[in-house]
Amino acid sequence: MKPDSDHPVEEETSAELYSSARDKPDTAVNTGGDMLAHRHRREQVIRAAWFFCALFAVVTIFFILAFLFFDAYPIFLDVGVWNFISGMVWDPTSINPQYGIFPLIVGTLLVTLGAMAISIPLGIGTAIYIAELAPCRVKAIAKPAVELLAGIPSVVFGFFGLIMLTDWIRVTFDVPSGETWLAGSILLGVMALPTIISISEDAIASAPLECKEGSLALGATHWQTISRVVTPAALSGITAAVILGIGRAVGETMAVLMVTGNAAIIPDPIWNVLSPIRTLTGTLGIEMGEVPIGSTHYHALFGVAVVLLVITLIINIAATIILARIKERSMPSGTTCSVKRMEKPQEGSGERLMGMIRHYRLPLVAIALALLLFIIFGIFGAVAAGSLYLVVHVAGTRLSPRWTQRVAFSLVFICVLGVLFALGVILFDIIVNGAPYITWEFLTLPPSNLGRSGGIFPAIVGTLYLVAGAIGIALPIGIGAAVYLTEYTREGKTTKIIRTGTDLLNGTPSIVFGLFGFAFLVIYLKFGISLIAGQVTLALIVLPTIIRTTEEALRTVPTFIREGSLALGATKWQTIRRVVLPPSVPGIVTGTILSIGRAAGETAPILFTAVVFSTRFLPDSLFEPVMALPYHLYILATNVPGAEGQKYATALVLLGLVVVFYALAIWIRHRYTLQRMW
Amino acid sequence: MVIALLAAGCTQTGEEGASPTAPPVTTLKVTGSTTVLPIAQAAADSCMNDNTTVDIQVTGGGSGVGVQSIGEGTADIGMSSRDLKSDEKTRYPDLVTTTIANDGIAVIVHPSNTVSGLTMAQIKAIYEGEITNWNEVGGPDRIIVVIGRDSASGTREFFSEKVMNREDFVATRLEKNSNGAVKQTVAQTPGAIGYVSLGYIDPEITAVPVIVDGKPVEPTVENVVSKRYPIARSLLMITHGAPSGLAKEYIDFIVSPAGQKIVSDEGFVPI
Repeated sequence: MKPDSDHPVEEETSAELYSSARDKPDTAVNTGGDMLAHRHRREQVIRAAWFFCALFAVVTIFFILAFLFFDAYPIFLDVGVWNFISGMVWDPTSINPQYGIFPLIVGTLLVTLGAMAISIPLGIGTAIYIAELAPCRVKAIAKPAVELLAGIPSVVFGFFGLIMLTDWIRVTFDVPSGETWLAGSILLGVMALPTIISISEDAIASAPLECKEGSLALGATHWQTISRVVTPAALSGITAAVILGIGRAVGETMAVLMVTGNAAIIPDPIWNVLSPIRTLTGTLGIEMGEVPIGSTHYHALFGVAVVLLVITLIINIAATIILARIKERSMPSGTTCSVKRMEKPQEGSGERLMGMIRHYRLPLVAIALALLLFIIFGIFGAVAAGSLYLVVHVAGTRLSPRWTQRVAFSLVFICVLGVLFALGVILFDIIVNGAPYITWEFLTLPPSNLGRSGGIFPAIVGTLYLVAGAIGIALPIGIGAAVYLTEYTREGKTTKIIRTGTDLLNGTPSIVFGLFGFAFLVIYLKFGISLIAGQVTLALIVLPTIIRTTEEALRTVPTFIREGSLALGATKWQTIRRVVLPPSVPGIVTGTILSIGRAAGETAPILFTAVVFSTRFLPDSLFEPVMALPYHLYILATNVPGAEGQKYATALVLLGLVVVFYALAIWIRHRYTLQRMW
Repeated sequence: MVIALLAAGCTQTGEEGASPTAPPVTTLKVTGSTTVLPIAQAAADSCMNDNTTVDIQVTGGGSGVGVQSIGEGTADIGMSSRDLKSDEKTRYPDLVTTTIANDGIAVIVHPSNTVSGLTMAQIKAIYEGEITNWNEVGGPDRIIVVIGRDSASGTREFFSEKVMNREDFVATRLEKNSNGAVKQTVAQTPGAIGYVSLGYIDPEITAVPVIVDGKPVEPTVENVVSKRYPIARSLLMITHGAPSGLAKEYIDFIVSPAGQKIVSDEGFVPI
């Protein structure tokens, strides 16, 4: 099969080939025609390979959806789709089992909303600080620190949340139990932060320098430049960041189920953040393990997974549409600066939407801030935010730009302090409690007595195997897909579908991958609980991150470099391999780091596919199960009484492992950045 | 000394069948209930300590996973803290269960709670949401935080049958997906009530005596053995047909005196 063989790019390619053969007579000593045909074939094969890589994400997402739906079908038949979704009671094991998931849907949405109210202002504030305000030295520390935060596995957050956060909430707000919506939102907010900060920061930092200089030269203050020139230019990147953050929050399982209490009720009143709550993911996480396979309850859980997947699909598709609108809007002005202009009547709903967003930016920010403060400090916070808004509003009209800047910068600074505080508290707790238990024996021995003594060596190796396998599978496919998307096609229907497929895969909650891995790899393909099942499941999870970051990296390579190479007679593939890919390595490495962090820390996907609680031998084949650090920590934290030190030590080792990965990768990136040619 | 004893026990059973035919490393996969997991793991440890040619891999997941894994043949032994359900029996008709231990389910509260005992009716009323403050049952003036297990848990299944007469739990209960998580939450929450397997009782929480015929009965191994404690059940290992080969040796070891010593060391009740 020759995909897209009628594509315009092909003509370019043969033209290049021709010129290349003519320009280098010494390499084409034998019949030039043969050489040409051979090269042409090779280019075609390479192109086809990348096309299939790109197709992989789309096919996978549809396959997962179909497979889950197939397993969920009986429940929709039994209960009816509408009753399933709108039912108010989830009680599958009562004498009259009831399968209503409305409270779970509401729970998921509320927790995500709360998390976004925390992480969007903090995340964007911090991104602005790192990109625009931080001194070089601070920046050099802050960026890796944020990436480190991304590497903290969700089970560590859950562990921390269960022990510290819920207790703090219980005492501070004087409620019977700290396991609440608020706890879930705070934890998820912190967890979504690194995603939002990293990607926003990249977007803000890559705003064209000449726009910034222009604005400053016109006499605008630094803050005016940031708020009216740089941030609008980075809007598409920031939106992408927020969407990814939402995706992370909606799909998070382990941390949520450990701190939200899992009561299947709708908060009363609906804004009561101190009510326990239950999410769709939490339901899957706690019930999947013990449900009799093939029962109505089992199918109902797959129904929950389908609903969860559909919700994330809707969020992602909406986001894709919004992003496309934003891109369209900024397209006419091309790469030039989109400075805030005077508002005028605009055509098109997208234009209007953007106009509205721009017009109501201040009130929107105020509402978000009010929601954030409300969630943290209750009603007083909301009042404070309200008055703050008035102050800012007055400031906007009355205060001098210099004062506005001062106020804005202090707000940004508060955001940064908040993020640092969150990171500091978590790290401090784990290091102080875990360090005394780290011994040579702990790192090199297999566990005994249920992990209460002995060590965690098989878990360390198991995690490395899982991560290596996942990256080994996902990296070639991901890079291939990104190369196809950026280098071989123009934006059209095919790329749109592929890109949407990738985005959807990215928004798919990890527990859904876990369910899919269990139902498809473990049961249907009869892999059993095995290393390979875990690696494939994890690979699917990290694939979109690799595609996206590689694409971003390839795009930063200026077109003139490619044109130069092609003009010198290099083929398409030669250009990609020798000219485009090398300078993209730092970007690709960044994506891989994020992926390693994610893969190493994921618990939900390997829970039912790859891990054993304890084995003293390392696996000798891909079809053996392994131990893994995050799972070991999860079991120690929830199932084994009396392993206090080992829990913290395991968490610390997991963190340490991530830090080693990160340090290595950051060093590599730093080296490559120094070598960059433009 | 205990370990030496256990190891000896395992050797005896281990050498009977394994030595003539055993390949260099034989693997046994044990999967299922998190309640049974501590026993299975400790037994596996002592077997493997003694016989380096076997690798016994113990996985959690839950009773449902245990039944399913053995039914589908992805594991050699399934663990369950509940009996097979009727649709599981029709799906996998040739499964054989072996009782390896008994277990009591203890009702636990925060150590600061002064409640001296609860009747079965009071426990039921609390879990139904009719009693909402500890002062209604002789405790301090504190809102009761009801903590339960997930709807797929074998422990909850049993609790629902034995204590609740299968009536519905209060909707505002918090749900946890393991014994350890329930214990952890109760230990941190002054107003909490929870139920866990006997093996999970430790000084961080207080196990409340259940009042039977006007007399408080502590949830202890002795009281479960003497059948005075009312909330007790069996823990199972499931095999395809009667156990054979390494699986048989392993299960035989657990039900042997040395294995039952492990059972009581882990806080469960010997058969």
